[in-house]
Amino acid sequence: MSAADLARLQFAATTGIHWLFVILTMGLVPLVAIMHTRAACTSDPAKRAVRERMTRFWGQLYVINYAVGIVTGLVMEFQFGLSWSGLSKFAGNVFGAPLALETLIAFFAESTFLGMWIFGWGRLRSGVHVTLIWLVALTAYASGYWILVANGFMQHPVGYEVRDGAAYLTDFGALLTNPSALLALGHLTLAALTTGGVLVTGVSTFHLARRTEETDLFRGSLRLGLWVAMLASFFVIIVGDLQFPLIERTQPGKLAALEESHLPWHGLLRVSTDVMTITGNTVSTITFVAVFLLWKDLLVRWRPLAYLMTALIPFPFIASAGGWVLREVGRQPWLIYGELTVDDALSHVSRGSLAVSCSAFIAIFVALAAVNWTLLTRFARRGPYGIQFGATEPLTEEPRPATAAF
Amino acid sequence: MSLESLWLALLGLLLAGYFVLGGYDYGVQMLHPFLGRSGADGSRGAREAAEPVGRNAALAAIAPFFLGNEVWLVAFTGVLFGAFPHLEGSLLSGLYPLIVAILAGLVLGNAAVQLRGRAHSARGRRRWDALIVLGGGLPAVCWGLVLGLLLHGVPRRPDGSFHIGFGEVLSPFVLACGVTTALLFAAHGAVFLALRSAPELASAARRSGTALLRAAGAAGALTLLLTLLGAGAPMRNGVTSALLAALFAAALAGAWWWLSRERHGRAFAATCCATVLPVLLVGAGHYPYVLASSSGAGLTVRQAVTDGATLKILTAFGVVLIPVILAYQTWSWWAFRGRTGRRHPSYF
Repeated sequence: MSAADLARLQFAATTGIHWLFVILTMGLVPLVAIMHTRAACTSDPAKRAVRERMTRFWGQLYVINYAVGIVTGLVMEFQFGLSWSGLSKFAGNVFGAPLALETLIAFFAESTFLGMWIFGWGRLRSGVHVTLIWLVALTAYASGYWILVANGFMQHPVGYEVRDGAAYLTDFGALLTNPSALLALGHLTLAALTTGGVLVTGVSTFHLARRTEETDLFRGSLRLGLWVAMLASFFVIIVGDLQFPLIERTQPGKLAALEESHLPWHGLLRVSTDVMTITGNTVSTITFVAVFLLWKDLLVRWRPLAYLMTALIPFPFIASAGGWVLREVGRQPWLIYGELTVDDALSHVSRGSLAVSCSAFIAIFVALAAVNWTLLTRFARRGPYGIQFGATEPLTEEPRPATAAF
Repeated sequence: MSLESLWLALLGLLLAGYFVLGGYDYGVQMLHPFLGRSGADGSRGAREAAEPVGRNAALAAIAPFFLGNEVWLVAFTGVLFGAFPHLEGSLLSGLYPLIVAILAGLVLGNAAVQLRGRAHSARGRRRWDALIVLGGGLPAVCWGLVLGLLLHGVPRRPDGSFHIGFGEVLSPFVLACGVTTALLFAAHGAVFLALRSAPELASAARRSGTALLRAAGAAGALTLLLTLLGAGAPMRNGVTSALLAALFAAALAGAWWWLSRERHGRAFAATCCATVLPVLLVGAGHYPYVLASSSGAGLTVRQAVTDGATLKILTAFGVVLIPVILAYQTWSWWAFRGRTGRRHPSYF
């Protein structure tokens, strides 16, 4: 493999794996925020306890996934400078601004507020505590917006001019309202909500089918998750289709590679696009039917049906990976469409260094992804019993030790 | 003050914030398996009291701040790219092996701190513990090496790019910087624990802290000695650098003095200063160069900065965002103030 191939593999692996965490983080956080708000607004103590346990159960899954997602995001932030210094040389004046603003507006706030939310149980006032999770949700999507402004510039550069071989920002408004960014944000938001909704649905039907004692908790979760999944998976297809006229206008090369078999990357693009479309439509259809089966708990009375919903959990991830390949591989050979090729942007880093870093990052990320999914599965199966997250009992049963020991 | 100096100051603020906050995280991460049993008689009792049900009291002390601390680094990188794109490209790719090592350490350490509590056996926890120590120590040493290289100057080529290899890293001065920084972060973490933990852990942390501060002082003196002998950093602004070095020594001495007299608040303020000063030294010692070349001169702040139009837009956002960020970070420190105790939900 050449240095360019290794650098691309490293970037693709980092982004691709990061994305699998992000889509679930973004999908779960609004649902957790809704659950927490409902719990805080309930005055009946028994109902409130159920809703609080519901928040903590899904909140724990969300936080486990966030823990791994944030570390891959950290590496993402460095990737541009590490292997693609040609990007900052050519487009740093334009491309750097949204990344800087993403960290200052969104990432900073999201992490600080999430830390406070995790440790705020029983310590912060309920209203403040609920506000924190909404701020986390808001900043998660704000983060997505700024990243897509940067990514939109790579797909369809706007608001700049090239002088002496470097891009200069001329129209900040155009950069912020780049249709390639806005449509993608709509598509990704709906895809994330589908992912979160399907996960909540699948885990809930699993527990209900196993005749859990927490019927109120999981019935409530199921209704919320399924409605969100049904609506989001319907509209994600519509917004996805809206992008094709834009691609036709701004990235003719991408559509050509998708349609014409003699062009490079055709096979991969075709397969990914079909996988995205088929899995997306499957999820949409099944969740649509399932909403009707909520009536009289039909969905969980017949177990195979309940387990079918559980089996649906991986589908949105598969579909989104397909969509990501279409968007990013379809951009090749350009890093910034029509302006800068991937090969021209490569840093002067030796092949040996890249080989080492690439294998190290891939090994670490794959291991983390495996740990993440093992933990998610274990904690999702275990159910809300004995949950550590948000437990307000004392930190340690410290026996007051004799200071004489020292 | 010109806009580019303002943004250089902001970049410095973010890196300094990361060194102070991430610094004590790394220190606590490095020390967490040992601190409980550093009592005079190495008593098992004290250790078990600190860790009843697989919990680690040292990690519990940093827990509420942990996620909010690491983002200072992310913000530093974002601002580096946004405001100084020409520095970002050559700096990160030039320091490639060190940055990759820092990132690998961070990824493993951060994930381990957050997932340790999810392990269901003592063996599983011990594995995460090893990664937590690695994730504190590796970035601490590597940041020290980066500081050493930046102070000493990097081998820039005519096109502005550079590469560091073993030859540059394995110089006595750079290695001494690595050791100093690692000891400094460890001492800073120990002082944080002395300030925030329950009494028994706090006094163990105080013992380690005073020893680590002495060691950091000795290693720091070695870097100074190497510089005086001409094998260290040829600083462009000699007077400023000498002043900052003197302040660094004073901060370490003050931290040691206050810590050994159980004035934990003052000792922590002093170690905070000591972790900020190396950042100031890199920024002010070579100013107006932001990337000093080992053969003299280097990349100036004016060459590194982004285009004026972009900088104006960033400034418009910055004047609102920076106070807001400082406000909510302060709020989070205030909300979780006080010694770790019964009312702190445990999760990590």
